[in-house]
Amino acid sequence: MPFYPSGLEAFFQAVATGLLVGATYGLMCVALGLIFGIMRLINFAQGDFLMLGMYFALAIMSGLGLASLLGSLPALVLAAVAAVPIFFAVGWLMHRLLLGRIGRDRPDMTEGEMHQTQLIMTLGISLVLSNGGLMAFGSTPVSLNTPMASQALVLDAFGGDMMVFLNEARILAAVAALAACGGLYALLHRTDLGKKLRAAADNPLAAIYMGVDVARCHRVTFGLGFGLTALAGAMVASYYPFQPYVGLDFVIVMYAGVVLGGLGSIMGSFWGGLVIGLVQQLSTLVLPMQLQSTTVFVVFLLILLIRPQGLFGRSVERA
Amino acid sequence: MKIALIAPVSGPMARQGDLMRKGAELAIEDINAAGGIKALGGAKLLLMVEDAGDKVETAKNAAQRLVANRAGVVAGTGAWSSSLTLAVTEVTERAELPWLTLSYADQITSRGFKYVVQTVPVASQLALSSMPTVLDMAQAASGKRPTKVAIISDSTAASQAFVTPLRDGGFQKLGVTVVSDDVFTPPLTDATAMIQKLRATRPDFLLFYSTSFPDAKLVLNKMNEFGLGKGKLPAVTVGVQLASPEILKAVGPELLEGLVVVAPNWPSKAQEAALPGLTRRSGEPWLGQDTISTYGDVWLIKDALERAGSTDGAKLMAALRATNRSDGPADYYLGDRLAFDHNGRRVGGAVGLVQWQAGLPYLIWPKEDAVRTPLWPKS
Repeated sequence: MPFYPSGLEAFFQAVATGLLVGATYGLMCVALGLIFGIMRLINFAQGDFLMLGMYFALAIMSGLGLASLLGSLPALVLAAVAAVPIFFAVGWLMHRLLLGRIGRDRPDMTEGEMHQTQLIMTLGISLVLSNGGLMAFGSTPVSLNTPMASQALVLDAFGGDMMVFLNEARILAAVAALAACGGLYALLHRTDLGKKLRAAADNPLAAIYMGVDVARCHRVTFGLGFGLTALAGAMVASYYPFQPYVGLDFVIVMYAGVVLGGLGSIMGSFWGGLVIGLVQQLSTLVLPMQLQSTTVFVVFLLILLIRPQGLFGRSVERA
Repeated sequence: MKIALIAPVSGPMARQGDLMRKGAELAIEDINAAGGIKALGGAKLLLMVEDAGDKVETAKNAAQRLVANRAGVVAGTGAWSSSLTLAVTEVTERAELPWLTLSYADQITSRGFKYVVQTVPVASQLALSSMPTVLDMAQAASGKRPTKVAIISDSTAASQAFVTPLRDGGFQKLGVTVVSDDVFTPPLTDATAMIQKLRATRPDFLLFYSTSFPDAKLVLNKMNEFGLGKGKLPAVTVGVQLASPEILKAVGPELLEGLVVVAPNWPSKAQEAALPGLTRRSGEPWLGQDTISTYGDVWLIKDALERAGSTDGAKLMAALRATNRSDGPADYYLGDRLAFDHNGRRVGGAVGLVQWQAGLPYLIWPKEDAVRTPLWPKS
């Protein structure tokens, strides 16, 4: 019979780890939610964008040797910061050359036709990226080997009787996720560009009548979504080994988080991701580890049953 | 005269196939340099490699290609993973082609086949004899026999086939209490909950079986984070992929320090003189099970050819099964004797324990074959 420790220490440890893991999930979900919320685009390649961010961090840290030159923390921060504009540009171009040709920029296509072609195209992009990754990087898992991955900040409340370990790499990833989500919130709610993006999301036709370049908004959105996912990838790579198919490990969590937060609610996606992280960790207090992922989907199904629009979704606005 | 090797030389298992190919090539070079097969007029050996790929179908196709072009092929070895070997031996058995394998699934030699031998202990022997071996080693190294174990294993068939007999009474018979037992479904996202239980339950050692090394890295990272790494809580794992240069690159020497790996075969004291030369010629930083077992397999075929004095499949197979050596080809396998039972299963084999010490994996047990002294905490 498995033994499960009870008590406050296990509970606090699960909450702390859940928050750290959940914050990073939150960033991944926000990036996906942004693309879906504004563009209504189902992006199957989101996991592969995450993978590219991971290999980008590896290239910066090991390939260019910046980890040994600057130290792993500054090199990781540099990789994560550089990932955003570089992958924004890649996303922008990808939309311009591929997705924009079959998305909302094509008034001759019906909504159903657009969704079908988008779905197939993102699936194709995903296959090209993962198989291209296999050719370029090989199938052997790699990792960044940062010392932070195996070091913890220890919260010691009662002289060693109750200790909570906060993994340093996960703390950094959570801080980066919060900063990125905060920045995105400010962009969406405090800037003219954000206003245009929200207008393009809420009512593309009305936005066009008001002089908003909806196609450009979509390109910016796709670029932002790609950049933020790559940022999440770079941070996750600091503690998680990866190979070209690593995206599959996270893509289900991303979709679950977005649906849990509420389809269309960009910042709700963050809370969706956070809830998934917490549920994953708290479930281990009462259930076997083997059911850790299953628990996430049970909660996911329950929320959809009780509140189909998700935690922060709006059920009638788009009806 | 050709020796066949069926191994995955493409796809995700290509690295293991490459290591086997190196072992076969080195053995053939050495045998030919020493005068070839003397009983057959000094006949020289050639290697014929077929790609097993990564699927049962591709492995079976490789065996069919081999059998279709078998002119000059006297025997073979392969195909690394048990599932591939099961498929390959279906074909080689019908072709009455003598086959050797380092795969250790029991089924390979439980089908009544006459043309196959397993040169390492089978899985059921490995599971039941590895833990007494670990306890003996720990007692010899620390003066105290462990009495409490924690188990962490993934939910794959290979892991559970190993862990289940131990969980279901195996440890109890050895006087060891299981204080924590976690099964996770790969890929593992975070190991915190499992490692926290180790802190709470304070086992004497951890039995850890992960078939994927990203999951192994997450567990080792977390152990270190919780102050249990670098041998403070001895960890015993299964599978030689955790003693490979790739895991060293991915995980780093600090986290691997002290980790004990259960290995069906590993370079030992018996090869002390030859090993530096073999390692240099292989181009590998060190030799592991895949290379040394395949090297030994080719020498074993040579030994059987000398005794049979014929390339006839039935005569060669009879000579292989009649092997009873404690020197010569036996030097390339663990245990006091190299012999086979009526099913083709290894007799006289021993389970090896390999331990990471200062960035390299050394054989630490059985004592008579070991090249380093085991490290195990005294208290």
